[in-house]
Amino acid sequence: MTRWRTLLLVARRDFVERIKSRAFQISTALTVVLVLAVIIAPRFFDAADDGWRVAVVGEDPGLVSLSMTALQGAVEPIEITALAAPSREQAIELLQSGAVDVAVVADEGVIVDEGTSRALATLAAAAMTSVRLTARAAQLGLTAQQVAQLLAIDEAPVLSLDGAAESDDNGAETLALFTTILLFVSIVTYGQWILIGVIEEKSNRVVEVVVGAVPPRLLLTGKVLGIGLLGLLQLIAIGIVAFVALRATGVASFPATTGVAVAATGFWFLLGFAFYAAAYAAAGALVSRQEEAQNAAFPLTLVLMSAYFIATFSVNGDNPVIRATSLLPPFAPMTMPLRIALGRATPAEVVISSVLMVVGVWLLLQAAARIYRGGILRAGAKIRLNEAWRSSQG
Amino acid sequence: MGQSQTIRRQAGDELAWRLVLEIIDLNKSYGEVVALRSVSLAVAKGQLLGFLGPNGAGKTTTMRSVFGLVAPDSGDVLWGGKRITPQSRLGFGYMPEERGLYPRMRNHEQVAYFGMLHGMTRAAAEAAATHWLAAFGLVDRAKSRMEELSHGNQQRVQLAAALVHSPQLLVLDEPFSGLDPVGVSAMGEVLAAQARAGTAVIFSSHQLDLVEDLCDDVVIINEGEVVLAGAVRQLRSAAPRRHVQIEVQGAAPGWVDALPAVEIAQRDGDRVRVDVTAQTDLSSLLAAARAAGDVVEFTYEPPSLNEVFLDAVSR
Repeated sequence: MTRWRTLLLVARRDFVERIKSRAFQISTALTVVLVLAVIIAPRFFDAADDGWRVAVVGEDPGLVSLSMTALQGAVEPIEITALAAPSREQAIELLQSGAVDVAVVADEGVIVDEGTSRALATLAAAAMTSVRLTARAAQLGLTAQQVAQLLAIDEAPVLSLDGAAESDDNGAETLALFTTILLFVSIVTYGQWILIGVIEEKSNRVVEVVVGAVPPRLLLTGKVLGIGLLGLLQLIAIGIVAFVALRATGVASFPATTGVAVAATGFWFLLGFAFYAAAYAAAGALVSRQEEAQNAAFPLTLVLMSAYFIATFSVNGDNPVIRATSLLPPFAPMTMPLRIALGRATPAEVVISSVLMVVGVWLLLQAAARIYRGGILRAGAKIRLNEAWRSSQG
Repeated sequence: MGQSQTIRRQAGDELAWRLVLEIIDLNKSYGEVVALRSVSLAVAKGQLLGFLGPNGAGKTTTMRSVFGLVAPDSGDVLWGGKRITPQSRLGFGYMPEERGLYPRMRNHEQVAYFGMLHGMTRAAAEAAATHWLAAFGLVDRAKSRMEELSHGNQQRVQLAAALVHSPQLLVLDEPFSGLDPVGVSAMGEVLAAQARAGTAVIFSSHQLDLVEDLCDDVVIINEGEVVLAGAVRQLRSAAPRRHVQIEVQGAAPGWVDALPAVEIAQRDGDRVRVDVTAQTDLSSLLAAARAAGDVVEFTYEPPSLNEVFLDAVSR
């Protein structure tokens, strides 16, 4: 009972002292603002562009703009302004002067300039095809109803060899990338809190008084628990803000994998944080000054960064590297959630990876507790890892 | 174990049953450097023990071993006759040499936090924190952060954090260092009051005059070994030297030089200070002085604790 009480006291102190600190409040507010900016800003840029302007030659501009708007298939499509140009030459002139973004010439096709986005060109071409199709149908004497039937064919889905429907891919990839970035940033951030907290306790010697009442292992566990909980809460808060903002602006649609991705992110955050927090605590216990903090944590940051890069470089497709690393503890917290979010991980892989990760966390906690115990009481010069390991065998 | 028996004898039989902290035959080396060599000492309930020694003698290492901050190579640290456990440490208070508390925590919260870590309920810990901050005149700083206080006040908060849970054993490493004279006397009073209330108190210090006034018993350590231990008065009287101060009016200047077995320490006109051994026959010394002239002053005293200390550590 006392052990639990002590653990909670330590966790509570780390939680409360941080949540009350100005630094925490400011960094949380900044993160929220940053997330909002990332979500909302692109809409401002699009809106500032006030839509796309199309010069139309030899075709009904109203029909073209209607078709282009419909073909976007979005909740809030980008506004299309189509204006009739008397000739091909004048349309090109308009395009070159920047008055329009693209030109559509009836018998010729779509004319683009340097500044024309590929999406717009594709859209204009599709719209032209659609307009021609309607005209041809009328020539063939089809009734309006028949034309509607003709056009009401579902767009053909694109299937990948993995068996996952690729139709959602853009949304899924964005979401997967977002969760990977979130996991990376949060594990690094909260890991640094652990690192700084451990060094602070060591450098001002308060740890010597605390350890008289709290065994080092409990102190380490309590710290990881308190800061981890605070981190999780911050993560949830930021997640909610992001979700609400995304829904409100309609920038991204939520793919079918959203629920799975969120659950996976939470699960892997806990495992990944526990793993890296223990490692950061051990690293912090080896040095006595804040100036040495980054030095001590460098190997950890390196591993985390490589896991992050493996994950982000593999968004477009699975490869042997990410498949292998998604099973292994130091990398899995970055690489596995990405594969889960993209629907690429098999259930067996998820199970193997989770089991290995849980075992890895447990082993690392044991090792970290020992290094921590050997390190925190030895102030002064940086301690070598094996020294700390050996000195706490008693 | 042999050395521990010696200490029990030295501490006096009436203390033996009350002994609470026993450090027995402690050895510790850091590589080639021997930090502690068979160090033994004991502190009884209600005893105020001064722990003396030059820098690097092993005082801090010995004190840290009580809190498990140092793992000795061999030897035992017992509390009430049993090996110290994390549970028994909850009844100890510690003030390390390098002071340390959480710099950004508010003082009242911080002191109460340490009370709770030592097993107190929140209500009891908060009441005790209020009591000790008031006792040290820090009522108006209760809500300040540790880092906002002056050095002396930080030291007071540190002491409050060591006392908040009413420890049965108080271990203080250099509690007087860095304090002004007012702070020193206040600290001395707190320690004496704790001992009177039945706490076993051990503290290290360089300020020997202070130790002499404050404690009945001392342990002197040098180069990792206990060189002297016992009651201050006994240690002084057991010293082989004695000081004799003699003032003789109308004596020939060199009268004292003719005396056998006398070492002249200081000359000041008619007054002379000499060192003799404890066995020197005083009556013949007094007779010689009387023969030389009119004896105005003749005092005989054992060396001060400071001298006992210097003799012990330079041996």
